[in-house]
Amino acid sequence: MSQPSAETNSKNTVAAGFWSEAWKRFRRRKLAMAALIYVAALSCVALFAPAIAGTKPIICKYKGSIYFPALGYLRRQWENPIFLEIRKEYSTRMKEEDPDSWAVWPLVYQDPYRRVKEGEWPGQPGNPSGIMGAPSRHNLFGTDQQGYDVFAQMVHGTKTAMLVGFVSMGIASVLGISIGALAGYFGGVIDIVLSRLIELVMCIPTLVLILSVLAVVEEPNIWHMMVVIGITGWTGLARLTRGEFMKLKELEYVTAARALGLSGTRIMFRHILRNALAPVLVPIAFGIAGAILIESGLSFLGVGGEAPNPSWGSLLSAARNTLEETWWLVVFPGTAIFLTVLAYNLIGEGLQEATDPRLTQSGH
Amino acid sequence: MIAPKPTTKEPALDTLVKVDNLVKHFPVHGGLLNRVIAKVHAVNGVTFSIKRGEIVGVVGESGCGKSTLGKTLIRLFEPTAGKIIYDGREITHLAHGYMMPFRKHIQMVFQDPNSSLNPRYSAGAMLREVVRFHQIVPHHETRDYIRELVAKVGLHDDAIEKYPHEFSGGQRQRLSIARALAVRPDFVVADEPVSSLDVSIQAQILNLMLDLKEDFDFTMLFISHDLKVVNYFCDRMLVMYLGYVVEELPCGEIEHIARHPYTQALLGANPASDPTQRHELTVLEGEVPSPYNPPRGCPFVTRCPLVEPRCSQEMPPLLENAPGQRVACWAVNPQRTAAAE
Repeated sequence: MSQPSAETNSKNTVAAGFWSEAWKRFRRRKLAMAALIYVAALSCVALFAPAIAGTKPIICKYKGSIYFPALGYLRRQWENPIFLEIRKEYSTRMKEEDPDSWAVWPLVYQDPYRRVKEGEWPGQPGNPSGIMGAPSRHNLFGTDQQGYDVFAQMVHGTKTAMLVGFVSMGIASVLGISIGALAGYFGGVIDIVLSRLIELVMCIPTLVLILSVLAVVEEPNIWHMMVVIGITGWTGLARLTRGEFMKLKELEYVTAARALGLSGTRIMFRHILRNALAPVLVPIAFGIAGAILIESGLSFLGVGGEAPNPSWGSLLSAARNTLEETWWLVVFPGTAIFLTVLAYNLIGEGLQEATDPRLTQSGH
Repeated sequence: MIAPKPTTKEPALDTLVKVDNLVKHFPVHGGLLNRVIAKVHAVNGVTFSIKRGEIVGVVGESGCGKSTLGKTLIRLFEPTAGKIIYDGREITHLAHGYMMPFRKHIQMVFQDPNSSLNPRYSAGAMLREVVRFHQIVPHHETRDYIRELVAKVGLHDDAIEKYPHEFSGGQRQRLSIARALAVRPDFVVADEPVSSLDVSIQAQILNLMLDLKEDFDFTMLFISHDLKVVNYFCDRMLVMYLGYVVEELPCGEIEHIARHPYTQALLGANPASDPTQRHELTVLEGEVPSPYNPPRGCPFVTRCPLVEPRCSQEMPPLLENAPGQRVACWAVNPQRTAAAE
């Protein structure tokens, strides 16, 4: 009868999936890890921007009720009416009306959308450096030509940078992976048609398309840009996925799945895609970096959507006219763009090495 | 949990699988417009039947179409011509949806467990998917069912959490067998299940399969290039050459009853277990003809020691020579023709 002990594995490894193996290898790469932490930190900054820089309390208590005025930065309606009321006069009314009231303020009392005046709120600083002020204690990264705080704008602009990367590459990934999967799995006429489609889209210059879309659309905003980057940026992913599917569908475990009667979609997405995902992740990371660059470039050219939304690119753009006097308008946003793009590239590179099938096979 | 199968089919047909003149050609595309420029004649009109409970072996050298036969039989390839009748119902051209109920009854064990197991699925996940997909047992019993299945193929309980790369070759093949048996099939096609394994483990797996056959009560088509393994393991064997069945004979005493020159050559190629007992070696000359362009007449004509002028003109019919034995050779059946039968 069967003797399982006769052929047990020589090394008693703990059960570990492919991804945990890859994660182990990724973690060993210090630069990639640092980049990942940097991106995670940036995401936190983007998420909690109103709590880091703003002129609205994160949380305040007034006449027995708790309010979250800082949410108003995310959406106008979320700012509690009571705080809007008080703020109209920019006075110390809150304290006068209710001596028991208190408020927790953002880390930096500065606003990305307006110039903060001296004495706006008792106990909070204004913009002592005024227009085009150099970095100081109150304006960490200086102020721009309108006297808006650069640090606050950068913090609130992080959201744009993160969103552009994720949304546009999210669209591109969904499109690219599904189209590539269909072409590679079914082959034949479907493959011919989809491959021609890929080639067609590859011929569209992204920048020109974005410019024309922004010109045609009535109220262009950042979302239009993301969509355009997404629907033109999937071709490389599609080709890669197609190739992976063509390779993997010939393997015997796919035949085995067919012999078991599993449906085509199940085989495609549960069996093949799982194995094809690792090599596709790498260009996605590089694509995010590319999308951020495109957004910054377009904002620099002044076509990056509606004006009030701060972004790193528009800060750079603002620096153009006063380049000689305002070095801080170039250095800080420029560094942020540079570091973020670099981080995504490092993550991509780390993923490449961590998911390399040859390394997986030999068990490092 | 793995109870003996309920005998729902009232008059169990004696013949489970019947293959009638099955042909599989693969088109070869090429040229400017990707037209069909040639055909690989993988299976050329194979006829046989398998009785319920039988193990039928298919022997032949690499490229003789034995794997293609197995895969066409379970409809992984679309047959070019011929008929496949399973349990009295023709399944030759059933569409995917209509084929579904049969998928539960017909399973396959593949040659190379390294590639036939998805590397991203743990053993348990793999089995769970199959069991749930075909609803073999009620949902809440899946766990126990899988544990029992894993034990039946001789793997430890902790194997359920492991991934294919953490198993040895033999363990992987056990898992592969477990996956095929998870749906409690009636008919299993085993495509060289032991060829990629060490000799010591081959025997273990073969014995395991025999044990499981008792347990699960299935019929099997066993494909192998190893005449000895087939002789040991099967009840009956089909010898294939270049897409044709050239001889069908009962297993056991094959060295005494084999008639076809190709079967005899295969026997000669097998080392004898007793070195003092010398037997005459029939060494085949030349190569297997290309399946793109098979010779006219008998496929073995280019290498046959008994070749006659008639052989290159006409394909000899597969005629019954003795009870349970059929041979396709003009030299063995000189006077008889298919019409005379």
